[in-house]
Amino acid sequence: MLSRRLILAILVLLVAGLSVAPALADDDLMGDFTVSHYFGGFGGEFIDGIVDAFIAENPGLMHAASPVDHEQFKTSILVQLAGGNPPDTFSYWAGARIQFVVDGGRLQPIDDIWEANDMDSQFPGAVIANAATYDMHRYAVPLTLHWVGMFYNTALFDQVGAMVPTTWDELIDVAEKFKMAGIPAFSLGSINRWPGQFWFDMILLRTAGNDYRNKLMSGEASYDDPEVERAFSLWNDLVQAGHFYPDANAYDWDEAANFVANGEAAMTLMGTWIGGLYAGNEMVAGEDFDYFSFPTIDEDVPRASLGPIDTFVVAADAANPDAAKAFLVYLTDPAVQAEFALGAGNLAPSLLVDTGIYNDVVARIAGEIAADPVFAFNYDLATPPPVAEVGLNAFSEFMANPGDFSNMLARVQADAAAEFAGME
Amino acid sequence: MTNSRALNWQRLLSTALLYFVLTILLILFMVPVYGAIVTAFKSQAEVSAGGYWTIPTNFASDNFARVMDSKDGNLGLYLQNSLLLTIPASIFSIALGTLAGYGLGKYKFKGDGLLFILIVAGMFLPPQIALIPVFRLMNDIGLYDTLWAVIIIHTAFGIPICTLVMRNFFQVVPNALREAALIDGANEYSIFFRIMLPLTLPALAVLATLQFTWIWNDFLWPFILTQRAESRTVMVGILNLTGQYTVDWGGQAAASLIGSLPTLFIFVFFQRYFIRGLTLGAVKG
Amino acid sequence: MLRRHPWILPASFLALPLLVYITFVILPTLNSLIYSFTDWVGYGADFNFVGLANFEKIFTDRLFSNAIKNTAIWLALAMTAPTLLGLALALALQGKRKINTIYKSLFYLPICLSPIIIGIIWVWLYSPKLGIVNLFLRSIGLDQLATAWLANPNTALFAVFVAWAWQQTGLNMVIFLAGLTSVPTPLVEAAKVDGANYRQTLWNVIIPMLRPATVVVLALTAISALKSFEIIWVMTMGGPFNKSDTLAVFMYSESFRKFKMGYGSSAAVILFLMTLVIIVLYFRQTAAAEELYD
Repeated sequence: MLSRRLILAILVLLVAGLSVAPALADDDLMGDFTVSHYFGGFGGEFIDGIVDAFIAENPGLMHAASPVDHEQFKTSILVQLAGGNPPDTFSYWAGARIQFVVDGGRLQPIDDIWEANDMDSQFPGAVIANAATYDMHRYAVPLTLHWVGMFYNTALFDQVGAMVPTTWDELIDVAEKFKMAGIPAFSLGSINRWPGQFWFDMILLRTAGNDYRNKLMSGEASYDDPEVERAFSLWNDLVQAGHFYPDANAYDWDEAANFVANGEAAMTLMGTWIGGLYAGNEMVAGEDFDYFSFPTIDEDVPRASLGPIDTFVVAADAANPDAAKAFLVYLTDPAVQAEFALGAGNLAPSLLVDTGIYNDVVARIAGEIAADPVFAFNYDLATPPPVAEVGLNAFSEFMANPGDFSNMLARVQADAAAEFAGME
Repeated sequence: MTNSRALNWQRLLSTALLYFVLTILLILFMVPVYGAIVTAFKSQAEVSAGGYWTIPTNFASDNFARVMDSKDGNLGLYLQNSLLLTIPASIFSIALGTLAGYGLGKYKFKGDGLLFILIVAGMFLPPQIALIPVFRLMNDIGLYDTLWAVIIIHTAFGIPICTLVMRNFFQVVPNALREAALIDGANEYSIFFRIMLPLTLPALAVLATLQFTWIWNDFLWPFILTQRAESRTVMVGILNLTGQYTVDWGGQAAASLIGSLPTLFIFVFFQRYFIRGLTLGAVKG
Repeated sequence: MLRRHPWILPASFLALPLLVYITFVILPTLNSLIYSFTDWVGYGADFNFVGLANFEKIFTDRLFSNAIKNTAIWLALAMTAPTLLGLALALALQGKRKINTIYKSLFYLPICLSPIIIGIIWVWLYSPKLGIVNLFLRSIGLDQLATAWLANPNTALFAVFVAWAWQQTGLNMVIFLAGLTSVPTPLVEAAKVDGANYRQTLWNVIIPMLRPATVVVLALTAISALKSFEIIWVMTMGGPFNKSDTLAVFMYSESFRKFKMGYGSSAAVILFLMTLVIIVLYFRQTAAAEELYD
């Protein structure tokens, strides 16, 4: 991953007069052009605005954008791909999910526009390798980079006299302080399951490390390994001690985030998109809420950042691939990347975006990402979708019956192994 | 004399008790409806503060404006789509059901009983079974993501119930009518159109209310068969909104009320037909 | 008795409906049967025939037996609670009183609502903090009973079922009411004259006469219970951790969340076979049921 200084150097160069306008393919794009995306309430209006601007520049296109609810999208896009009638371009989560549809031959490579527009120079190498490249070809243009950390209510931290924890023990101390004040330290809203994965991801990354985690995600390691047992056992300590807001499985992530905003819970482990929600609550980043990186557990494990990257891809059966590719090129425009980042509260993956645009919190997070040697995708983007289903259910089950995780992990291993075998 | 007066008291008391119990049950039954109505008129702040069953203090109606706004909930477009889908699909399914019902109800031929069972069995088919093949079929014939795909599939899946009702109807129409017309020299088709069809109006009204309600309320088919907002129906739109407005119960409630208005209209004004339809072959509820 | 007709006459009426019905209902259903013998994954173009492998696998699948168990619970509850309540309401409201009309209308109002909307409304009712169920329990001092109904693995299935039954009860009431109109009044009067009290009349005269209506109600309830998917999907998506998975939800999850279309189709086939059993039982009773349609 490129250092922040290098990013700045590039920016200076660019400001010095290099033209950054991406070369749009041509002015003759015609016909229907369909875009599908899952940015519902958060960022949806911004992506729609970007599509509208793109259409305005290409008056030959008849546009049809269709925002779909996040959870429904996961199903509907696969159905469309299966039927050979997908949108021309759509948002998709980088990692195992894109790999999954690439394996099915449902996406087309974009090596041509990638090279023609020298996108290698526009994105960090790690992002290109992890998010854009599958089977040696470029497939996806990154639009967002999100980062998972602990977001907390600053007033509550002041109220109980808590300091930002940097180690596991300090985290437990802070949680105890809140417990004494009668406030649950952590809120988790896992009704749609995925928020629970961040706890598993972060603890595993901080104890077993990224290399082991990669093995687990690809089926080379086992869910009944001591590494996984230990991660669950640490998580279990927090749950059993009563540090979690009750009934995690009853709430959605934004409800859990609002518990923190309202002072009913102290912090929540969530992605940077929480900033978009809090901005809507008129909370000032760095004042009303702040963040800290998930504490270190084992000193000798290299630090790792975690999060999803949203990308746009071109369907293999796209009816209007020229328009789709032109749209992807349009998305690399630093102004577009910056506009979306500001709207949705994420980081722009493009190196050409001036980091000065971010608020204090996001700017510091950009520094964390640059400093960490590893950027890992969260669980359901790191392991193939059928296996992710098994794991996501396990995280929900754990939150409901935390004490019994050993038996659960044996079952999870059997199910995950079956899913891996089924994909052969 | 005294004996019968005591009996009257006893009867009155048991009637009063009966209606007391029924009223309690009814109140319990109506709680969800009441909650939806009052919530639709509350701001989120009021829902969070006052809970669920309080009377709204200032009857905020901006929930409705918000969900109808084309830049926000866009329910106006979805309502229009649902109408453009539900009305033709109801008409087509009833028309085809009437043809099939007549063919099975008025004519006797080899295998008619088996054919009838084959068609009526379709009522009981879980639609999920055909989901994937229908999806691919609609793609192959180029109708995917159009309202026509949903219209056709609801027409097809409506044939069993419409056939059942119409066949039962035609069976009880006296044969003398037909025979007399035949003697007068009318052919079979003019009998069907001139004599039989006008008689079927009540049965058609029954089916119209049933089909309209079911097709309007359906979620699975439009969800699978359409994609763009331009072809999205109201139920798919509402479920999308709940993803978008997870913490906005007022918006969800307003959308739910708006989406239920057409079927509530039928419930209020065509209840007699609707109920008749349910008892004639209620299967999908 | 009608005489036989030349086939061309009925065929001319039946051709178009049959064409549409076969193309869009029968063939897709048969197509699903074919997929159930393949390893087709939805996003891929190719598939191989794997014989009975999907069916061999499904009977060892923990989640499948979980779904079967939940479907059995759902079915057992569905055949009893809403049926009995619907019958009780029909008996209570069968008279010609004006007030009965209003009560009846309100009891079957839920029938005209979409399962999507019913799901949305009931999710609020079960909300752990603001939902009326818990508010009510707390207001009468039963705080310890208040729970996160849809998130609690022990209550989720039952909570969804109650929402479903809310709609089903009104439907059952309507069918029983129709059945009651076919109970001849003289028969009931005669029983009264013979000195039978209401309970005896009910058991000896009314209930036996309601047999056709009961057959219809039970058959329809069973089938609609097997098919019920949307309301579960809206309320819990089968969660938490598959605790409210029914067979229909399992089929959908395997097909569209895990993208194992071939495997999901084999679940669909099993669902179809179960439905078929009920259809056959139903048609054997059709003679009885037909009486209701007059």
